[in-house]
Amino acid sequence: MSEKREEMQNPVVEINGVNKSYGHHQVLYDIDLTVDRGETVCVIGPSGSGKSTLLRCINFLEEIDAGQIWVNDTLIGYRVANGRLHEMREREACKQRVDIGMVFQHFNLFPHMTALQNITLSPVLNKGVPKAEARAHGLELLERVGLKGRENHYPSQLSGGQQQRVAIARALAMKPFLMLFDEPTSALDPELVGEVLSVMRDLAKSGSMTLIVVTHEIGFAREVGDRVVFMDEGRVVEIGPPEKLLDSPKEERTKAFLSAVL
Amino acid sequence: MTNVSITDAKDVREQIDPDAAVVPVRHWGRLLLSVVVALLVLQVFWSFATNPFIHWEVVASFLLAPTILKGLLATLEISVIAVVLSTVIAVVVAVMRMSKSVVLSTVAFGYVFVFRGIPLIVLLILVGNIGLFMKQVSLGIPFTDITFFSAPTNRIFTPFVASIIGLSLCASAYMSEIVRGGLLSIGRGQYQAAMALGMDGRQTLRYILLPQAMRVIVPPMGNEFITTIKMSALVAVIAGGDLLTVAQSISGVNYRTIEMLFVATFWYLAVVAASSIIQHFVERFTAEK
Repeated sequence: MSEKREEMQNPVVEINGVNKSYGHHQVLYDIDLTVDRGETVCVIGPSGSGKSTLLRCINFLEEIDAGQIWVNDTLIGYRVANGRLHEMREREACKQRVDIGMVFQHFNLFPHMTALQNITLSPVLNKGVPKAEARAHGLELLERVGLKGRENHYPSQLSGGQQQRVAIARALAMKPFLMLFDEPTSALDPELVGEVLSVMRDLAKSGSMTLIVVTHEIGFAREVGDRVVFMDEGRVVEIGPPEKLLDSPKEERTKAFLSAVL
Repeated sequence: MTNVSITDAKDVREQIDPDAAVVPVRHWGRLLLSVVVALLVLQVFWSFATNPFIHWEVVASFLLAPTILKGLLATLEISVIAVVLSTVIAVVVAVMRMSKSVVLSTVAFGYVFVFRGIPLIVLLILVGNIGLFMKQVSLGIPFTDITFFSAPTNRIFTPFVASIIGLSLCASAYMSEIVRGGLLSIGRGQYQAAMALGMDGRQTLRYILLPQAMRVIVPPMGNEFITTIKMSALVAVIAGGDLLTVAQSISGVNYRTIEMLFVATFWYLAVVAASSIIQHFVERFTAEK
């Protein structure tokens, strides 16, 4: 682990010994990973390596079979009482997700709502933000992701890159302390990748937000990532600062993957 | 027609008059068919109009008779209440069926199985005659003496009420499958996005799933509405007081059976036409943005 890790007091995300299977097929093996406040961690690896599953486990879209995930010193998906773990009710799990933003590969905007309605829906419902305030904040966010004037457009009237930027604004509207990005540019046409990455870059540089980004964009990982995690076959193979991991990887599997994609 | 070989293709090009209108293809078959169809329709009309056994003046005189209009009103009331009630039940049953709770999904499955399985006319006769085997309707805690409410069955289950209940039970079973199909048509990504935003199941259903499912649900639901309106004629078997009931009771007195059926037919077609128009506008409203 980097030296930075020791200076920091409490990490935002602590993943300890996480295992997960779908039926007989194990997808995550003994994952350990710690992410510090303000850090940007990029997770790379071949498809099917479990990167996306791990990301979904962090906000409990998926249950884990063993291990623990702590976010902001709160156990995800379970309550601790009398030294035992208790499964959470759906309502409690929803409360935990409110403060964790997530951006999906296929945007998953709500197609029957305008860009602004997509953004303001959950803050009004689940954070008790007054409508006018949510609207003002939503317009501000749209401007921040470079979509000023598009508030009344429906998702079908926006390009893929614009839709993904609305999705980022929608996640930011909940004022999360942690943002999870699940291959945010994989479904985009090549010429639209840049605009989404630049929004993410600004977010990472702002310093206040913690980002975990599952990505195939090695260039982005190198430029923006504080650390890069390489995963393969459900295991964390190697973690390190981008220049080290990407230029002089220690593990054979990392080398093989990088020589295949670069 | 002229056969154009390569050598004289140039001549043909020069022959084309650029200002002349293009001669369209003549569909002689269509023209012929329309004449045949027109003749057949005319013949049917003629045979009805000149039929000596049908007294059209009787049809005309009863078309706007107060009794008929009262029956029409009852048909409209029964249909509209049944349609609204069964839509609500359908959504509840569809959501129950999709619930993770085994109890709820089994109850919903049983509901659909039973009420889709019983022929409507049997169901109507059963509900209409419920007073024969249940003398009291009461609500309380089973196997105790505690009751919150009790009344004689016949006071509550009037033919009118029994008609609405019978129709609603049947229609809601069909509609719940339509609603379930609509909900299933929405991709997993929408659920996940809603979950990731911290929305609970109820909010997801109300704000994300149902509004999108509407587009898939509305056309077959319109069909169900029209079916329900027509099926409401079956309540005549328990004297539901609807249009067919009054038409038949009039013909029981004046023996103009066929004429009274024509009166009823006219109004049924009018009501169905009106609801088709409404359906058209609802579909346009819920069409994709």
